[in-house]
Parts: sequence; C-alpha cells; structure tokens
Amino acid sequence: MRAVVKNGIGIFTPQGFLDGSSGNSFLSIDDIDGTIAQNADMILVSLKKVIFFNRNGLDSFVKMFQKVRSANHCTVGFCDYDTKKYAAIVKFYQDDLNFSLFKTQEIATLFSANYKNQNKNILLYNEDKSQRAAMAIELHDSGHNPIVAQSYSEFKEKSDAENAYDIIITDTYLGQMGQKVATRVTGNAIIYTVSSFLDAEIGNTFNIAYHNNSLNVGFRLFIFDAYKVISMNVHALNFFSKLSSAGAEYNATICFVGMSFDKTPKEFKETLEDSGIMFFSQMDDILQDKDMLEELGASSASNVKDKRAINKTTVTELPNFIDATVGTIEMMTNSKAIKESANINTIDISPKEGKIASSIGFYGDMDGMVILVFPTEIAKKACELLIGEETNDTELVLDTLAELVNIVGGKVKTLLADEHISVDITLPRTYPNIDSLLEIVQDKKGVQVDLSFNNDKFIFFLTR
Amino acid sequence: MIVLDNFYIIVAKIMQINIKYNILIKKDTIDNFIQKIPPAPQALKETLLHLNAGDLVKAANAAAQDKALSSYLKVLVNKPIYGFRNEVSDVSQIFGILGVSASQQVVYNYMMTLLSPSKWILFKLNRVLFYNLQADLSVNWQKILNHLHIDDKDILSSISLLPASIIVSEALFCEKKADVDLLRSVNQIDLNTVLQRLCGLDLFDICEQIAQKWEMPQAISDILQSASGVKPAKDETTNNLGKWMHLLLFYTLSQEKYVEAELNDFIDFQVEYVSDIYEEFSKVMEIS
Repeated sequence: MRAVVKNGIGIFTPQGFLDGSSGNSFLSIDDIDGTIAQNADMILVSLKKVIFFNRNGLDSFVKMFQKVRSANHCTVGFCDYDTKKYAAIVKFYQDDLNFSLFKTQEIATLFSANYKNQNKNILLYNEDKSQRAAMAIELHDSGHNPIVAQSYSEFKEKSDAENAYDIIITDTYLGQMGQKVATRVTGNAIIYTVSSFLDAEIGNTFNIAYHNNSLNVGFRLFIFDAYKVISMNVHALNFFSKLSSAGAEYNATICFVGMSFDKTPKEFKETLEDSGIMFFSQMDDILQDKDMLEELGASSASNVKDKRAINKTTVTELPNFIDATVGTIEMMTNSKAIKESANINTIDISPKEGKIASSIGFYGDMDGMVILVFPTEIAKKACELLIGEETNDTELVLDTLAELVNIVGGKVKTLLADEHISVDITLPRTYPNIDSLLEIVQDKKGVQVDLSFNNDKFIFFLTR
Repeated sequence: MIVLDNFYIIVAKIMQINIKYNILIKKDTIDNFIQKIPPAPQALKETLLHLNAGDLVKAANAAAQDKALSSYLKVLVNKPIYGFRNEVSDVSQIFGILGVSASQQVVYNYMMTLLSPSKWILFKLNRVLFYNLQADLSVNWQKILNHLHIDDKDILSSISLLPASIIVSEALFCEKKADVDLLRSVNQIDLNTVLQRLCGLDLFDICEQIAQKWEMPQAISDILQSASGVKPAKDETTNNLGKWMHLLLFYTLSQEKYVEAELNDFIDFQVEYVSDIYEEFSKVMEIS
C-alpha cells in the first residue's frame, strides 16, 4: 500500500476490516522505505476508513512500527479515530503502548518535525498527568501556546468556550517520539532542535541532505535549539565542527542556543567556537535582533555570495524537466500544455501581483531547483483535479500547488533515473507572493520557460 | 557556467524539445472502451432467456453449447466457498443445484470475465484470483439476501456487475500506472474521483453502460450505482441494498489476497454511508 506524504508525514490509509489475516498485507518494508525516501519523519496509519479492527489486525502494524522506529528514528503510530477506537487501542496495548496516537492528522502535524503553522492556542487534556506534561512541552517547543486542563471537568468547561482555541487535543497519546533532528524554518533561518545526549548517533539523525540543500537554496543561518541538551561527546563535537567548516564555503553561520556546558567539557565550547560556531543563551537574542540577523546572513536568503549558476549538466537534462512539468500539468488538467518562449537569465515575473509559486529542490548526481509561478486563478485551474471544488482558500491552493510540484519532482526523478542519474527531491515549498520567492531566487540565473495550457500562462524556472 | 556564446544554442534546444502528450484519461478512451464491449454471445443470450423463463433444462442445453461458459461454470462452482462436497461437472447438474436465480448470477459472472484483460497491469490480479473474487462476492451476497429475506434473481445477479468497476479501472488506467501512483502518493484521491473530475462520469456510470449494452435489468444498475457509496438511491430498498453491497465489497477487499492485489483502495470506502447497517452485517458475516 502506498502512503500519501505531506508536510513530512507519511499516512497509510487501509480501508475496511483489519484482522489478523489482512494486517500483514497492508504494509511492507518496501512501502515504508518508499515513504521514508520522500522525507517523511512521521509514519502513521489512518483509521478513518477502517470500520472494524481487532488486536491481531493492529499487531502487524505495531510490529512494523517497531522496525521503522529503530531503523529510521521516525515517529510512528495511528491517527484519525474516534473516542471508541482510541479506548480500544489503549486497552489492547495498555502495558506496551510505545507508539503514538493522534486523534486527527491536524493534531499529528503539530507534533511533526516539519510543522509550519505556529503560535496556535491549543487546549489539551489527557487522563495521564505525564502525558499532559509531555504534550505541553512538545507543543511549547514547537512555538505553540498549550493550555493544559488538569481534570476532565476543567477540560469540558474550557472546551465549551466558543472560538477560544485553534485546536483542542484529546484522545491523543505520545509514544516514543522520533529521534530525528527536528527542523523548522523561521523567516530565513533554519532551526534544528537537538536534545538529550549528543553522540555519534547525530550523524544518523541529522538530515545532512536537507541541510546541504538549504545551503544551496540560499539559507545562511542555522540555529541549533539546544536547551534540552544534557551533554555532548567528542563524536558529536567532531560532527558539528565539520558541519560548520563545510558551511563556511557558503558563508553560512551556525549558532547554538541554550546549550549548557555543565556536563560537557568547557574546552568543547572553545573548539566549536574556533570552527566558527556561535553561542547564545536565548533564542530571542538572535531572532528579535534585526541587526544581528543581518550580520549573521539571515536578513534575506538572497544574501548569497556564491551565486551558483545553471550548468551544462542541468541544461543537458532540461528536456526531462520540461517533460515532467508539462506532463504533470497535462495529467492534472486533461489539456495540452504548450511551450511559448524560453530565456536564460534571472527570473522575470511581471506583473508580480496576484501570483503564487511553488518550488522543489533536487540533489544527488546533479542538483538544482524547479520553480513554477502561476497567477492564483490559474493555479486553481491547474490543481482542479486535486482540489475538486471551487475554493478561495489560499492556504488550500498553496498546499495543492505543493502537491503538484511534488508530482513534477517525482517525474523528474523517474525520468533522470531512466538515464542513470540518481537524484532525491526535497519537500516542496510554496510562496504566497512573488516577493517571498524573489528573496530566494532573484539573483540566480536559470532557464525560464513560459508555458500555457488552455491559453492560461504560467512560468517554469530551473536554477541551481 | 553558461557563457553568452552558448545562449542561443541552449534556447534553441529548449524550443526543440518535443513534448509528449500526457493526458491521463480522455473521454475518447472511455467511448472506445464502451464501443469495444462485445455483444453477449448467442449461447449466452439463449441461456439467459431460458433462465428468465425458469426452464433450467433448456438453459443448461444452451449453456453447454458454449464451451468457455461450461468450463467457467465448472471452475467457479467447484471453488471451496460454494461448499459442494463432490465435484460438479455437468452443466445441467450445476444449474439444477444452483436453481434459477443463482444460475443467472453465475452466467452474468461469466459475462464479466469476457471483459477482463488477459494480463492485469494496474492491479496484481490474474484469472484465478478474479474468479475467486467473483465467487467470494456472489456467495456472500446470497447470504446477505437470505438474511434480508429477498428472493429476487435480478437482485441476486446485481453483484455480478460489481467487479466490472475493477475491470474498467484496469482498462482505463493500466497504461498510466506510474502517473496514477505518483498522483496518489501526494493526494489521497481514488480512481473513481479522478475519473469523475477529469471526464465527468465515474466507474459506476461506465458499469451501467456495460449493463445496458448487455441488456441487464435496470435494477442491477440501480443497485450498483448506489453501491458506489457516493450516489445514494432515492428508492429506500435500492439504497439499502447499495449499502450492503458497498460494505460487502470492502469486507471482501480487506482480505489479504485482494489487499496484495492492490484493490483495497481503488475506490473510497464510505464508512458513514454504511454505519447504520454495520452491526447487522457483522452478525451475518460472523465478525467478532
């Protein structure tokens, strides 16, 4: 069974009846590997289309969860269930509940490493005090405002207040969470969250490909949120020193925030500082200080000293990129896409108003980034197959545009693989306006191709 | 680095790219598919005519003239789910044991196999597994109708049309498997919805057209449309039968062999639609 991967969460949706005989057939190692390859760091099985399950039916998933967790450091569990199903699962696994349970996919997103919406007012309740605390900490660390109800009566009272909370969390359980280094983007800085003991394992849990791609697309400030780090050993010290040295080529800065050296040798700090890493006690010391941000290279991601240009390898493979884009648009719109003009220069978008964009990076045997720019109304048409109905919800259109560019990325990957060129693709990124796109690409040279379908024009831009 | 000299060469190269037409599914493809549906063979028509008149002997004689039909009947009814202790090999014997209604049902099942591909690509099916699916659905549908105290040969036969939705999916999407997989890896969209959004008609509309071409009674199509789970029938009895059939489909497609054949999620299971009959269904199917 295939998973749908969105915002770093891979969701499998079995349908019907889960009992002992069928459970094993829904999820295979290949399915999981395919999902992980799409940058998922949370693997969930949705129960929304399951009308019946028993312990045997869930066991096969749970066994798979254990394998996935130990091999890939992912968060694993079930989602999309009602209170009755939640109670049944908790009863089945009461002494051995080491996976997570998220009542909805939206709640799961709050705990994912790749969450994007922050500052939510969240009311939460769980019978178990330690669960309440664990959730509150996770949510707070993710930039939300959790309000914890200490009793069910308090929860009922609070939850009755209309529009008081963005999200209400019940029937949710945090099992062993993923140990991947959580990543989030704030403005033009990338924040990695590290915790506990930093040792050689950091080399496995840190997504170096994501980091390198972030450097490629113009990010220059990387902050390690290290409030919860207890200690660091020499292997981790070497890892961070090398990471900093490698980033120097791009003029990138790496900072540690909140790191205590109570249980870590003081000379480690000096070594890290020698390699260019900076230390701050509070996150706001950086994020609220505009001068500091500018100095550290995060005032704009376009502050790129090494302006990488499109090269011969990329141009040689250009037909594949165009084919992938055109093929995707045709698949989504059932109409023929036409190539109108082509140009090599920095991206030229005029007028800028009323347009949105989406990009996807690729890296491996070759690297670069495909950007699609659409007038908002045309984007809706291009995504009609996936949206299904009329909408003015910009967030939904952007999300769907991300799905579209994800398909383009998938097609590029397949077409290049046919020529024995191996690439991986990044998570798609969307831009609600052209200014936010230009912050990333305005100085980059690339190939711009104007395309159209049904006389509706849009821009394809390929750069590095 | 690109130098200015190369500029025009590159632009020329971009403009020379031949773009392959990559439409996922065209209305023409559907029309062609419907056009190519073979008419029911003469022996089949005669068999159904006699069954309709309740004459099992004449029906068996007519069926025996079609070797493929005779062979199919033997294979199907000797599957374990039919529960016959001894092998049944004679067509008149088969019809005699099954009776008029179930005989009509198996003949319709055979008609569906005439549409099925020799090689499955989209789904990991084969002839044996497809026959098993037909047998599983047919026997359990009979069980449901017994429970509902419904004795109507057209309603009993309506289950035969259900696998046509799988055959149509295979026929329309088999050449675009990679695209379908890619699309469904980023969005939870089923094949029925893809077809509806791109062409304005869905799998079950196409199944209805098959039924019309083969002059199946309208009741069969009505139940099937309702069994899609997204088009409830106005008639309460038909709608209720649609719910039972929809739930039976997903009960069946939850079995290991069909999950492995990638049939479990080809259309969306509408849990809400069947929620009011679930308890009763679980008793009939002895689910615990």
